[in-house]
Amino acid sequence: MPNIVVCFKWVIDEAYIRRGSSGELDFSSVSYKISDYDRNAIEEAVRLRNESGGRVAAVTVGSPEATKGLKDALSRGPDQAYFINDASFENIEPSQTSAILADVIGSKIEYDLIICGEGSSDLYTQQVGPRLAERLGIPCISFVLKLTIDGNHIIAERKVEDGVEVTAAPMPVLVTVLPDINTPRIPGVKDTLMASKKEVVNIAKDDLAQTYEPTLQTTAMTAASMERRCVKFGAEPGDIAGFVEALEKEGVLR
Amino acid sequence: MAGAWIIADNREQTLELLTIGRELATTMGTKLTALLWQDQELADDYISHGADEILLLPPLPEDQPPGAYIPVIADEAQKKDPDIILMASTVRGKEMAARIATRLNTGLCSNCIALNLGEDGKTVEMERLVFGGTAVQKVTCTVRPAMATIPLKTFEPAVKQEGRQGDIRELPAPAPSPVKILERKPRETEAKDISESRIVVCVGRGIEKEEDLALARKLAHALGGEIGCTRPISEENHWLPEELCIGISGISVKPDLYIGLGISGQVQHVTGIRDAKVICAVNTDENAPIFAAADYGIVGNLYDVVPKLIEAFKT
Ligand SMILES: Cc1cc2nc3c(=O)[nH]c(=O)nc-3n(C[C@H](O)[C@H](O)[C@H](O)COP(=O)(O)OP(=O)(O)OC[C@H]3O[C@@H](n4cnc5c(N)ncnc54)[C@H](O)[C@@H]3O)c2cc1C
Ligand SMILES: Nc1ncnc2c1ncn2[C@@H]1O[C@H](COP(=O)(O)O)[C@@H](O)[C@H]1O
Repeated sequence: MPNIVVCFKWVIDEAYIRRGSSGELDFSSVSYKISDYDRNAIEEAVRLRNESGGRVAAVTVGSPEATKGLKDALSRGPDQAYFINDASFENIEPSQTSAILADVIGSKIEYDLIICGEGSSDLYTQQVGPRLAERLGIPCISFVLKLTIDGNHIIAERKVEDGVEVTAAPMPVLVTVLPDINTPRIPGVKDTLMASKKEVVNIAKDDLAQTYEPTLQTTAMTAASMERRCVKFGAEPGDIAGFVEALEKEGVLR
Repeated sequence: MAGAWIIADNREQTLELLTIGRELATTMGTKLTALLWQDQELADDYISHGADEILLLPPLPEDQPPGAYIPVIADEAQKKDPDIILMASTVRGKEMAARIATRLNTGLCSNCIALNLGEDGKTVEMERLVFGGTAVQKVTCTVRPAMATIPLKTFEPAVKQEGRQGDIRELPAPAPSPVKILERKPRETEAKDISESRIVVCVGRGIEKEEDLALARKLAHALGGEIGCTRPISEENHWLPEELCIGISGISVKPDLYIGLGISGQVQHVTGIRDAKVICAVNTDENAPIFAAADYGIVGNLYDVVPKLIEAFKT
């Protein structure tokens, strides 16, 4: 019965980021969400547990504000959560995130299988999973679209540019999953109620073995610009004609 | 010690990295090293395309992934202490880069879209997209070597120069990886490369059934263009191959004309059409974000609008 750890991130919903007048990012009306593909990671962990038994622990590193994310994650089926939080964890980069995760998972959590998303919705560095595996010294299979447990091995179908590779590795192992792997559930009221009864282990910065300095420094962050005409037509014959005429004027039709 | 290293899965990507690697190595006054494990015959080819040195990795047994090379590559990098390591942003490349960076305890700029040497002639400033393409982040590595993964087609392939000389060195064979490849299922269909197409008709989840792709194909045909799609269409529905998926995790296109059908226009997709000359969209929802990213939008049902467009473009 495998012990499964799933890593998720509580992120800013990018759809609410505005572009300020001088090209700066305006975060004043943002809300947060569980990183999109981490919903697939959680779903897969829960699916495997329901099939093979064992437990699922959901782990996140973030600022204390990420508390809401824990309830959201737990309402998706994990048994327990670990919340590694500090105000300074708001803007860490992947080498730090993975080192902190390795510190806690390596010393406090039993694991046979660790599941990460393919990439986070905000930074999308696609690094934290493989870095975490390397830190823990365990095999890594990334970009997985199908996962099975076979005795003490993981069999994973991995999507590569030239097709699909069926790979096997002995547990403990880390995999990163693609959104194709499953369809995440939409938690109901009952799931949310159940979630508030589940255990959350809080871990503070002082509980870590050491501090982890950044290796990547952000020197600028600007809104990507896209100026477009934004002319709208309806679907009436006159509109269609106007639309086609506009394209002719642009000289983009052959 | 110093140097610029490039690591890629195949020749096409290696040649693109040789372009930027050569530029950096020349400006920094250092040596350009290319790693090679696929076809050992390519060593001289890479030298004539700009490499000063080739590090040959011995071929792997059939069931071994290139990830097996990681310890050997990281050990050599520790010994030679290069200034920068550039790797191809492929599935295998991204995983290898993250794991090598961890072993070297350094930073890695994933999916780097632009890269410049700072005024000090040493610091490499790298750009990448964040928040699905909403923002551009500039980063530098605070530790040696600086590392980046670079998407395909970011740079032009290097051109061959006659008479270039270089060294070829062999690295030791790696220990077997615990990850074993049991089976390789090659891709069934080769999809068209639409990254250079002049006209792209793109389909999103507003298309109800796979058969209805025919409607989009007809429109593309009437315009003399190609067809593309959003990620849910390729990845969730598997209606089109993922080489046709446009966006931050797919390909970028720069057609004269892009027409999106039933596409909401979320930033992860729109990022891939940023360089299109004219963007058009058909969507039933007048508040769909795609209209803010489009030059000309039609608020309407694609099943009603597209046949009318086909008719209009035919005449
Ligand atoms: C890390 C990450 C990376 C991603 N990378 C990519 C990427 O590279 N490419 C990509 O495409 N997506 C990507 N996505 C997904 C992206 O966020 C969106 O979910 C996706 O682009 C939405 O696809 P869609 O517009 O086809 O579907 P939807 O968002 O479901 O939109 C469908 C639209 O069709 C309209 N519609 C419905 N019926 C009709 C009709 N009859 N006629 C006209 N209009 C109709 C609706 O109003 C709606 O606006 C990524 C997401 C994440 C988190
Ligand atoms: N702060 C975090 N806490 C827990 N897991 C994370 C965190 N950041 C990233 N991850 C995991 O690593 C994956 C890849 O993230 P990234 O490297 O940022 O693209 C995510 O899908 C998560 O599974």
